[in-house]
Amino acid sequence: MDGACKTYEGGDRPALLPTSFTVERGEFVSLVGPSGCGKSTLLGMIAGLLRPDAGFVEALGRPVEGPGEGRAMVFQDAALFPWLTVLGNVEYGLRAHGVARAERRERALEAVRLVHLDHVVDRHPHELSGGMRQRASIARALVMRPEILLMDEPFSALDAQTRTILSDELQRIWLETRPTVVFVTHNLIEAAFLSDTVHLLSSGPGRIVRTYDIDIPRPRDEADPALLDLRHDMLERLRAEVDDAAERRAQVAEVVAL
Amino acid sequence: MSTAAGGAGAAGGRAVRASRGARAAAIGFLRRSWFVLLILLVWWLVTAAGWVDPYKLPSPGDVLGTLGTLLTERALLVDLGATLLRLVEGWAIGVVAGVLLGILTGGSRVLEDGIRPVIAGLQAVPTIAFLPLAILWFGFNGTAVLAITAFGTFKPMALATYGAMHQISPTLLMAGRALGARGLFLQRTLVFPAIVPSLVTGLKMGWSFAWRALMAAEIVVTGAAGLGGVLELGREIGAIDVVMAVILVILVVGIATEQLVFARLERWVNRRWGLVGAR
Repeated sequence: MDGACKTYEGGDRPALLPTSFTVERGEFVSLVGPSGCGKSTLLGMIAGLLRPDAGFVEALGRPVEGPGEGRAMVFQDAALFPWLTVLGNVEYGLRAHGVARAERRERALEAVRLVHLDHVVDRHPHELSGGMRQRASIARALVMRPEILLMDEPFSALDAQTRTILSDELQRIWLETRPTVVFVTHNLIEAAFLSDTVHLLSSGPGRIVRTYDIDIPRPRDEADPALLDLRHDMLERLRAEVDDAAERRAQVAEVVAL
Repeated sequence: MSTAAGGAGAAGGRAVRASRGARAAAIGFLRRSWFVLLILLVWWLVTAAGWVDPYKLPSPGDVLGTLGTLLTERALLVDLGATLLRLVEGWAIGVVAGVLLGILTGGSRVLEDGIRPVIAGLQAVPTIAFLPLAILWFGFNGTAVLAITAFGTFKPMALATYGAMHQISPTLLMAGRALGARGLFLQRTLVFPAIVPSLVTGLKMGWSFAWRALMAAEIVVTGAAGLGGVLELGREIGAIDVVMAVILVILVVGIATEQLVFARLERWVNRRWGLVGAR
């Protein structure tokens, strides 16, 4: 396919000002920012789960009109179906698409192996640790062989150690399967570690304030000094933005008070 | 020597633990049943002392004796069977209809806004008030009783389903839709399993409503076999021991289904759905 595989332009009330960006095919892009900056809204629109008030979203050369069509999503709290086993969860999307039982099983097992969960395929979600649940939910998305993988703060509910292990794993999986990824997080180092491009968003109202291109060769190491420098830079920028936003709000409050 | 002492100690510990377990069980039993035992004692005292007319209140022994006779003569078993069959049938019809209506209309604002208040309103009317209507429609027979039982189950079941539909996690629905589930597939594989834990509670409630509606209807419509008919017959011939024996049977059936069927079902579902720790 040619260069631009997705163009987004939309306004979602004050939650997100009209925003535009493009993600190249096979690129790993992160949307980073404080809570309330509209990053999850943005992702939901790309997924086709939310509709923009204005503007449009295009994926793989077609306008986004609903979920599916080469896009898969990983949610913050894993959102596994509690009544299904790990394998049942991973097979679910294939069932929805009417894939035959044998092929379903084979592809699900392959996805489960990719995230190293092959020893717990028959367990139910509540029998798994938080990290394992999130692996299962990544497998559930990957089994669809998505061209675009959307991840909404997938590691934010995990403890720091598990989070580090899983971002390492995600880097490996991405290098193996090379989908386009749009990754939403509020963790700067995670974003810098994983991404080709990081869009820094600011809150109140949400918009992209800065874009970073990261060309550190992979596989990367989270302790890489270059990443730490980058994180420092982003943090400074975010602080300035938060202060600006606070100031703007204070000004508005003053005007209102008068 | 030390091992022998250790072995003796361990065996002693087991014995102590076993007797402690037995004591705890006995205390638990007493705590739950002391009031029932007290009622039985007072009942026995009052009748044994001859303070009340045995035609108003027979002794516990007489009631149990009558129950034994009724059971060995099998007549009561036939009635019990007929009642239970009707209960299960009426309940099943009510459950299926209630859940289907709940799911169908729970997914649509317009349908729910229109239909839910009607069901809630009907739930405020005791089911038995519809019995004369059912008799006019279906005749003075078992079908009318069955219809009333099904209707009595249907109302709380539909309401429980509505309630459950609103408690489905939005993220779970989004996850399903993002994976390409929609329409009937989404309803069958996501919405329905997601509401199962709440439905189990509804099933239990529906069962008790069915049981009440059924007994009331059977006492009026006495043509067909059934426990309600036996109760009414007992009243007609003034056999108070029969009446009380049948009440005892109704009580036991209620408690047994609750404990053996629904409590187990609930435990199983809570375990399978991972709700054990959450409760």
